[in-house]
Amino acid sequence: MRAPIGFRIRNQRKSLAISQASLARNIGISPSYLNLIEASKRDVGGLLLQKIAKSLELNIDQLTGEGEQRLIFAIGEAFADPVLSKAKLGANEARELVIQSPEVSSALVQLYRAYGDANASVDAFTNRLKADPLFSELLHQILSQVTAIRSSAEILEGVSDLSVKDRNRFLSSIGRESLLMSEVAQTLVAHFDQTTQNQKSITPTRELDDLIIEERNYFPLLEDASINLRQEIEEMGVFGEDALSKKLNKNYGVTIKLIKDNTEKLSSQSFYNKKTRQIQFSGSTRASTRIFQFARLYAQLSVSELISSQVDDARLTLDFSKKLAFSYLSAYLAGAIIFPYEQILNDAKKSNYDIDYLGQKYTASFEQVAHRLVTLRRKGDEGIAFGFLRSDPAGRLTKHFPLPGLLLPNSGHACPLWAIYSAFRTNSSLVRQTVRFADGSRYLFIAKATANRLTNFKDPPFFSSVMMACEIIDAKKTVYASGLDLDDIKNDVLVGPSCRLCTLNNCAHRQEEALYPI
Amino acid sequence: MTLDILIAEDEPGILQSLDFILKREGWSIHSVTDGEAAVAKAKQLNPRIMVLDVMLPKISGFEVLKQLRLDEKTKNLPVLILTAKGQKQDRQQAKDLGANAFVSKPYANDDVIKTVRLLLNQGIS
Repeated sequence: MRAPIGFRIRNQRKSLAISQASLARNIGISPSYLNLIEASKRDVGGLLLQKIAKSLELNIDQLTGEGEQRLIFAIGEAFADPVLSKAKLGANEARELVIQSPEVSSALVQLYRAYGDANASVDAFTNRLKADPLFSELLHQILSQVTAIRSSAEILEGVSDLSVKDRNRFLSSIGRESLLMSEVAQTLVAHFDQTTQNQKSITPTRELDDLIIEERNYFPLLEDASINLRQEIEEMGVFGEDALSKKLNKNYGVTIKLIKDNTEKLSSQSFYNKKTRQIQFSGSTRASTRIFQFARLYAQLSVSELISSQVDDARLTLDFSKKLAFSYLSAYLAGAIIFPYEQILNDAKKSNYDIDYLGQKYTASFEQVAHRLVTLRRKGDEGIAFGFLRSDPAGRLTKHFPLPGLLLPNSGHACPLWAIYSAFRTNSSLVRQTVRFADGSRYLFIAKATANRLTNFKDPPFFSSVMMACEIIDAKKTVYASGLDLDDIKNDVLVGPSCRLCTLNNCAHRQEEALYPI
Repeated sequence: MTLDILIAEDEPGILQSLDFILKREGWSIHSVTDGEAAVAKAKQLNPRIMVLDVMLPKISGFEVLKQLRLDEKTKNLPVLILTAKGQKQDRQQAKDLGANAFVSKPYANDDVIKTVRLLLNQGIS
């Protein structure tokens, strides 16, 4: 699923009337090597890609075609749906459609998303109507009132010898039941309004996803703010749990309660009570969780307006999207406080992106470090470009940040061969694999499954698997390449993005029919 | 011989109409407005027919039916169930519990009268 970077380099070079030899000279490589890159027979990334982009007067995104590739992928997903699969849009046709009509393609994807959301709403409504006691009660009331009105009206119309007293009695009944029915109808409408509002919560995650992707998961204003916040915390001593808790108490009167027995049960690992200004932790929380929650709370209490100003974005159209974004950006800021940009970038480079080592150094979890590494995208001062994916034990993808070229499924399930799933079988050991897609693009996947908290017999642990992905060309800079022959493609695991979108033939692991003809 | 019919219905508008149309047929009408009273009255009165709404306060029409079928005195009492239209599950459940006939709300008055007549004729035969 890699974007055709070589094709773009060649096209742009020709449109600028630059010879292959001239461009090769400018960027410091041989013409034959450039030829291989343009023919998509060699990977290109990092500094070399930056040089090429500069020489061709393009930015990296234009060259990698990240947005375009995302659109191609989204079109593929849309046409994988049974409702559109009769159209038989192949991979090449999807690509052509996006290249020739990007706006139409984008509209098509928006329409498909709206369709998906509408379907989800219908399902939710159906389930709700089946199970909703209020709806059932209202329906019963309406039927009863209609029955009473109909029956009374039939008597008034059909009984010729009706006494004045009875006539008045049934007229009065019709009036009374009509009034009651109006009230029930109003309640019903209000109930549907409420339901509709609730169902809008299906789309906010997508809105937030799109915003994060467009910002490349890097928020400069929050990064700037994190520097001051970290300095404030360090006034209380060496940065850590102790300094954070002291600072929270000093500035905001926040107290901490650690619940170590079963007398009080928390529904989550931590809970902050705004009224009492007390943050409660379950006894099962790890230090990394407590540090993270402290940092997030300190960020929210200190620069709430700044976070809100970031949330006030035209791309977030729903109230719930803004709420989600506030929560996400607060967590982002907490990450930036715990892992200062320059410091974590240097440590990452020095340790060759050893996530477990960095976790120990910063008292952070595997997922926290992995997430921070994904955000090291400051232009001109970037770390390795990583994709990030998280899955629950049922295989459902619960978090994702795509990597240029490698587009990760938005939801549902990825290819069953990916390390993110095999990590569940390796008891917290890190799994690594070199993978190759049908188009020849190659990546290093590393994954680790962890129980997110300490536990006891009656309180089952919450497992998740986190996977990082980077291009093979970048993999060599990581500790995870150690002992692997990355140049030998025979070691690659042949994979696809998901069964529906995979074009590999004769895959024994295929669970669903491929969208594209194989 | 008086033909006693017991109606168990909590909606005053429906009860008023049922009372009126069934009395006009010459039958003697008794009524209750909750499930517990329905069971007690049926045992005490021993009516010829019972018109029973499914959604009743205290105990539901289904529970009433179940209790009637367990009692020697009322186990053969013909019961006409008033159900909501389209509630197939309700009808099936009532049938399984031993209901003799159904009329769906909102009904035409004639439907109720004809069904009660039918049940009476079956009882006589």
